[in-house]
Amino acid sequence: MSRIETEHHDGTSDATPGGYEGQRRPGELVFGALMVIGSLVLLWNAYGISGFEALSAPGTVPMATTAVMVVTSAIIFLRDLRLPRVAGESVAKDILPGVVLIIALMLVAYGFLLKPLGFLPTSALFLIAALKLLARRGWLWTAFVALGSLLLVWIVFRIVFTVLMPAGIVPEAEVIQAVRNLFAGGQ
Amino acid sequence: MDTLLAFLTVFTQPELLLLVGLGTFAGVYVGAIPGLSVTMAVSILISFTFSWDVYPAISLMIGIFMGGVYGGSRTAILLNIPGAPSAIATALDGYPMAQRGEAGTAIGVTTVMSFFGGFIGIAVLALAAPLVSDFALKFQPRDYMLLAVLGILLVGSLSSGSLVKGIFAGALGIAIGAVGRDPLTFTERFTFDLTIMQSGISFIAVMIGMFGVSEALMQLHHVDKTAVRQKITRIVPSFGTIRKHLPLSLQTSTIGVIIGALPGTGGDIAALMAYDHAKRVTKKPERPFGQGAMEGLVAPETANNAAVGGAFIPMMTLGIPGDAVTAIMIGALFIHGLNPGPMLMIDQPDMFWFIVGALVMANFFMLLFGLTGIKLFTRIVEMPRGVLIPLIMLLSIVGAYAVNNSISDIYWMLGFGFFGYFMRHYGYPLGPVILGVILSRLLDDNWRRAIISEREDLGRFFHGIFTSPLSLVLFIAVILIFVSQTPLWARAKAKLFGDPAERVQQ
Amino acid sequence: MKRFVFGAASALVLAATAVAAQDYPSKEIQGIIQWGAGGSTDTVMRSVTPHAEDVLGGTVVMQNVTGGVGAIALNQVAGQAADGYTLLMGAENPLLYKVMGLGDKDYSDFTPINILARGTPILVANPDAPFDDYPGMLAYIRENPGELRLGATGPGGLPSVVTAMINTVEGEMEVISVPYDGDGPALTALQGGAIDVMPAVLGAAIEGIRAGNMKPLAVFDVAASDRLPEVPPVTDFNEGYKTYLPWGPFFGVFVKKGTPDDVVAKLVDAYAAGAETAEFKDLMENRGFSMLSISGAEATEFLAKWQQGTTWLLQDAGLTKTSPEEFGIARP
Repeated sequence: MSRIETEHHDGTSDATPGGYEGQRRPGELVFGALMVIGSLVLLWNAYGISGFEALSAPGTVPMATTAVMVVTSAIIFLRDLRLPRVAGESVAKDILPGVVLIIALMLVAYGFLLKPLGFLPTSALFLIAALKLLARRGWLWTAFVALGSLLLVWIVFRIVFTVLMPAGIVPEAEVIQAVRNLFAGGQ
Repeated sequence: MDTLLAFLTVFTQPELLLLVGLGTFAGVYVGAIPGLSVTMAVSILISFTFSWDVYPAISLMIGIFMGGVYGGSRTAILLNIPGAPSAIATALDGYPMAQRGEAGTAIGVTTVMSFFGGFIGIAVLALAAPLVSDFALKFQPRDYMLLAVLGILLVGSLSSGSLVKGIFAGALGIAIGAVGRDPLTFTERFTFDLTIMQSGISFIAVMIGMFGVSEALMQLHHVDKTAVRQKITRIVPSFGTIRKHLPLSLQTSTIGVIIGALPGTGGDIAALMAYDHAKRVTKKPERPFGQGAMEGLVAPETANNAAVGGAFIPMMTLGIPGDAVTAIMIGALFIHGLNPGPMLMIDQPDMFWFIVGALVMANFFMLLFGLTGIKLFTRIVEMPRGVLIPLIMLLSIVGAYAVNNSISDIYWMLGFGFFGYFMRHYGYPLGPVILGVILSRLLDDNWRRAIISEREDLGRFFHGIFTSPLSLVLFIAVILIFVSQTPLWARAKAKLFGDPAERVQQ
Repeated sequence: MKRFVFGAASALVLAATAVAAQDYPSKEIQGIIQWGAGGSTDTVMRSVTPHAEDVLGGTVVMQNVTGGVGAIALNQVAGQAADGYTLLMGAENPLLYKVMGLGDKDYSDFTPINILARGTPILVANPDAPFDDYPGMLAYIRENPGELRLGATGPGGLPSVVTAMINTVEGEMEVISVPYDGDGPALTALQGGAIDVMPAVLGAAIEGIRAGNMKPLAVFDVAASDRLPEVPPVTDFNEGYKTYLPWGPFFGVFVKKGTPDDVVAKLVDAYAAGAETAEFKDLMENRGFSMLSISGAEATEFLAKWQQGTTWLLQDAGLTKTSPEEFGIARP
């Protein structure tokens, strides 16, 4: 097998990003093409902000920077076109393996459920599912770790830092007030 | 004598001492968790310490500030997820060290160097505050613009792979920074007529997505691999190591103080500039940059802690905030009945010296808490990845939301997380994206101010640059750095001096 | 298990709330601050609210929701239930959203709880500027058209309104208008000489003036300020300003329209008491704001008058996107 160990070029440190010097990875061409298209859309949009009205117009810097994006993405794309593909790599195995796809979908689901369901239930579901899938331990252990760490996060963010995550179906504010009244009553 | 007494206030009152310590301790953790920021912590403290006296309130805030700036390096080194924007550069060489099992050494060096940088910052604040603030005021819009251009040229040092991809990433970052209503004219930019785009994209959300979520997704590839065992025997760096890096850390601390003192720029830019500086001046690092070079840790960490002292300079001398945290502290001083402004130093010199004293104390506490409790942190990294990854994701989500209490920031964060994941796979560096977002406003706003001030006349604009010594120096620096990054220069140099590998980028 | 406990506890509390609205507040109140941490609005709100909390007997959790010149926060509060559990803590900007094309909601969709205080504009100059008073500035502009750099903070901000006033009263000035994102950064630029003159709120400039880092030209009010008695009001130079003055930015606490009257009454009492405390009055005094602390019909009238005056001034200066007439705002 001439397959190269993924560990060395998966971009674990940002200083040495993934990818190969003289080869292109599966899907790289599609990504490159999307970047070119995206840059063109942004350039067109930037032109629409204020056109060539004045040097100080709000659209000047956006136009300059998106123009740079178009040029560089085109260079990258054209260079990729000529490169040979990495032997033995496939999108399903090396770029988007099943587990990444599943977790990514779970994150998207999280985003959708957060508002209607609320922070606590959504996060509990997410943590239990992700831990079960990744750590592969018993249900009791999974539930304990998930709910325990969720409680910790909730206390730090909600109580200490008063970050009001969407409450959804859980009447958080009422509960906190009730607890507060309890303490106030006890004094 | 009064000065000395005011300076010593914090040392002599156990209550204040305790609060500074408590603040610093909390700050280390606040800084380490991506999404919990010092700015957030300090603004909550305003309400919390509302009924307190001014000294205890300020003590707690200063502790959080000092500890928080330092704390960002922890997660950068251990997880490759910078806890704060000012720790982005720290991850570049800190994480590779942790992967070799040298997290203990990395944290030790970081702590001692942060202490050193913090100390330089405080010393400049104490001895030369009026001088530095006069200098900082001299910066005109065109100078800020040149500074931003200088910053953008850092893309070269931040992208060790393909430079073209680095430039693309940097330009993308600038574009991301422009999304939303333009703060100067309220024109909509890149909003595609969507309400969610109007408030723009929080750069913290971009950072958490690109460094947090995309890193977590990346690590899913080898979720079953056991974590690297960390050696934590030799934490305190040897005197030789410290002495070796002394000249560099003095230079990078200076960068930190000046960038920190400029209103409108802060520790994040300072740390990146310092990293770039280290890369230029270090002739022979023991290990190449990006693979665990000690200099790559020393530079950003001295700079971002030196920027703390720097940020207090315009605040104490002029009542002008040096960064977001000092802006809130000015508010706190108002609430406590003081009038921060140019007269504060004259009306209430005690306050100035008290703050200097509290900063010194916080710096010592940072050293103390930095060198202890490392075991606990390394335990976290040694947790099975299957447990760590979901937790990182949850923290990223909460953190992105907390920045501006908005769900759309979560969507942005996730979007950039997925995008960053592909960028990592295809060899696009992520650092330049964040750099671009940080510098976007600085560049855009000041370019427009500069050219408006010259009545849209490029001739007058350049005349302005060439007649002001400060602008001229910055302009020449921009040209030199730009030229040194082009292949033409390397070739010319090879002809002139022989082997170019020996002296890459003076 | 945990959710069961939560459910049980909440059922109890909910039952209690359903019985009587007099129990307000039975849960935490959210206070949405329109501007970022450390800004004037933020400071004012964070210093008055703890006093109001004492009277209210509840907790107000304050959050900064920034962006869109405050429109994001306004829309967020407008999207919540009108139950008094979400307060909008804002400044004058929303009254201009409609004419500026920044949004379709303003304070007419809200009930004012307390308009706390009003700021006074002041015209300040760099100490090296080649004039020392207001007439000197006008003369300088006339002699050197297009040379004076005047600070601005975007359409609808205080400088744009003051500039519109000057243009209306004195005739069009030919100056360079350099935009900044707030009066803080603009005043910094003024001290560094990047701009020559800046219309700012008195509180932001006062310390700089005391130290001699800026020189005051005129207070935009009908009388001199107690804080700076030596600075003449602009009406001393031109009576024409009396049509528009006194004018100034303000801070207020609001709830969504439709909030039950007894809840509004409780909040009004709480914030009125909070604004009465000596500490808050001192803070306002120090920052050069004039206390208002008005509510009810008085506040509604204040808002209407402010909106009429300002939107038409901007309309006449050609700074609006849509005429105030379109929104039924009558010419004053």
